[in-house]
Amino acid sequence: MSSPGSPSDPPPRDPDAPVFDGPPLSLEEELAAARAEPEPGPSIEMVNESLADGVNRCPKCGSTDVRQRASTGRLICLFCRHELSEARVEEEFGLGVGIDQLEGTVIAGGAGEISSDEDVITMTCTGCGADVVVDTAHAMNARCHWCRHTLNVNQRTPNGAVPDAVLPFRLTHAEAVEKIREFASKRRLFAHPRFKKEFVPDNVLGVYLPYLVIDASAEASYVGQGEVQTRRWTEKHGDSSTTYYAADVYRVDRSVAFTVDDLTVEGAADRANFDGSTTNNIVNTVLPFDTKNAVQWNSSYLVGFTSEKRDLDVADLEPVLQDQLLSIGRSQVEGSLGQFDRGVRWEAEKVDVGGSRWVSMYLPVWLYSYYQENTRMLHYIAVNARTGETMGSVPVSQWRLLAAAFTVGTFLEGIAGWLLVATS
Amino acid sequence: MIVDLAHVVVMASDGVPAWILAAGPAGGAATYWALYRYYRNTDKSHAYERDTLIAAQPVRGSQEKVDHISRTRDSDIDGDNKSQHRQRVQRLT
Repeated sequence: MSSPGSPSDPPPRDPDAPVFDGPPLSLEEELAAARAEPEPGPSIEMVNESLADGVNRCPKCGSTDVRQRASTGRLICLFCRHELSEARVEEEFGLGVGIDQLEGTVIAGGAGEISSDEDVITMTCTGCGADVVVDTAHAMNARCHWCRHTLNVNQRTPNGAVPDAVLPFRLTHAEAVEKIREFASKRRLFAHPRFKKEFVPDNVLGVYLPYLVIDASAEASYVGQGEVQTRRWTEKHGDSSTTYYAADVYRVDRSVAFTVDDLTVEGAADRANFDGSTTNNIVNTVLPFDTKNAVQWNSSYLVGFTSEKRDLDVADLEPVLQDQLLSIGRSQVEGSLGQFDRGVRWEAEKVDVGGSRWVSMYLPVWLYSYYQENTRMLHYIAVNARTGETMGSVPVSQWRLLAAAFTVGTFLEGIAGWLLVATS
Repeated sequence: MIVDLAHVVVMASDGVPAWILAAGPAGGAATYWALYRYYRNTDKSHAYERDTLIAAQPVRGSQEKVDHISRTRDSDIDGDNKSQHRQRVQRLT
């Protein structure tokens, strides 16, 4: 042990001297460092280590007949009735905390880049050795046709089919049917007759849809013009009168820093298209989900349900995130514009995303779909299988709508004509 | 009858204004559009501005008077988008 001031102590550092950051590199090393690929950003590895591809056995009796019990949101062994569940990812991976300290783009393992479009995975049944095919575009389980074991895809696949987390169904099939029936029964009178005839809500399907759930910290800035009314007066011109206004014009700028927790965006391109040619906005409307209750991936949660594969990467969805952050910022600054009673016209805007964290999730939706042949439109009635929020698109009978519009129009025109005649 | 009605329209400036005759077509169109939206819900989407957990710092900003309008018939500013949060404007980088 050396005492202070002994010869082995390093000399005190001159505070003005440049900081030495390692030995100088050779020219080749410097060039190699300059050409190197950028280091991948920080990521969260959320693979469920306790599971492997193949059979998920009940820890109590060893049966593979494990599936989700909707009423509890837990997994149940159909053989011995043992119930189990996976851990919530919120606490397991600390997803709800430190959003304001996020830097860069943090991507969880299951939200990583999709590098393959191969949907079909061939698995060897660990029960009997047979080869079983799983079409991961629609399902994450298959039953071995030889030994009847349920085979599960639990390992990460390069095609984006295995997410980081899954939010189990809570609403049962019967409850979803009831919600859809109630929704449609309020919209009977002007519904297309063929839709009414073919309406079978029992055909509702439980689907796990892919979403990316994002935490982000951002600062949004806006520049525009606002007007404050200073005077209002009325001038008479013969029989008529006109109201005039005077106003002060202001240059307005606002900025706000904020964090968002669990912003949810569609992870499948087919669902992310919101133009008028689809009814995807219906499925979008049943958001949000209680994503805080999502659990670590275990494909046994998907037994009996279908699923849709994610096919959008984080890079594809960065513009969507920025767009939504700009909208959120605009809603946050609106409260500070009260003095501009003639309104504000925003002319330019900017968002700086300080950091974002992306987690892929399967979220549960009960989906009733109806294909309208004459318009080639696929109509959905969707039920959020956690909150029960229901939204739908019911095909209309155009001639009935026109008849109603014509009747109301004629009635109003009659009143208007009568008023004119009565006061002339 | 039509001639009578036209006469009434021209002479109606003292009582009910003539544009009230637009009530029929306007009411019909409004009925069609309201029913259509109730059935098809084409205007609905996830209200993420409201339904997401957002923690915002206090809003910062300033305003500076740049002009004065001394006489206008417009009751509000042109292109008011204060409440249209999803209407994108020029993006600054």
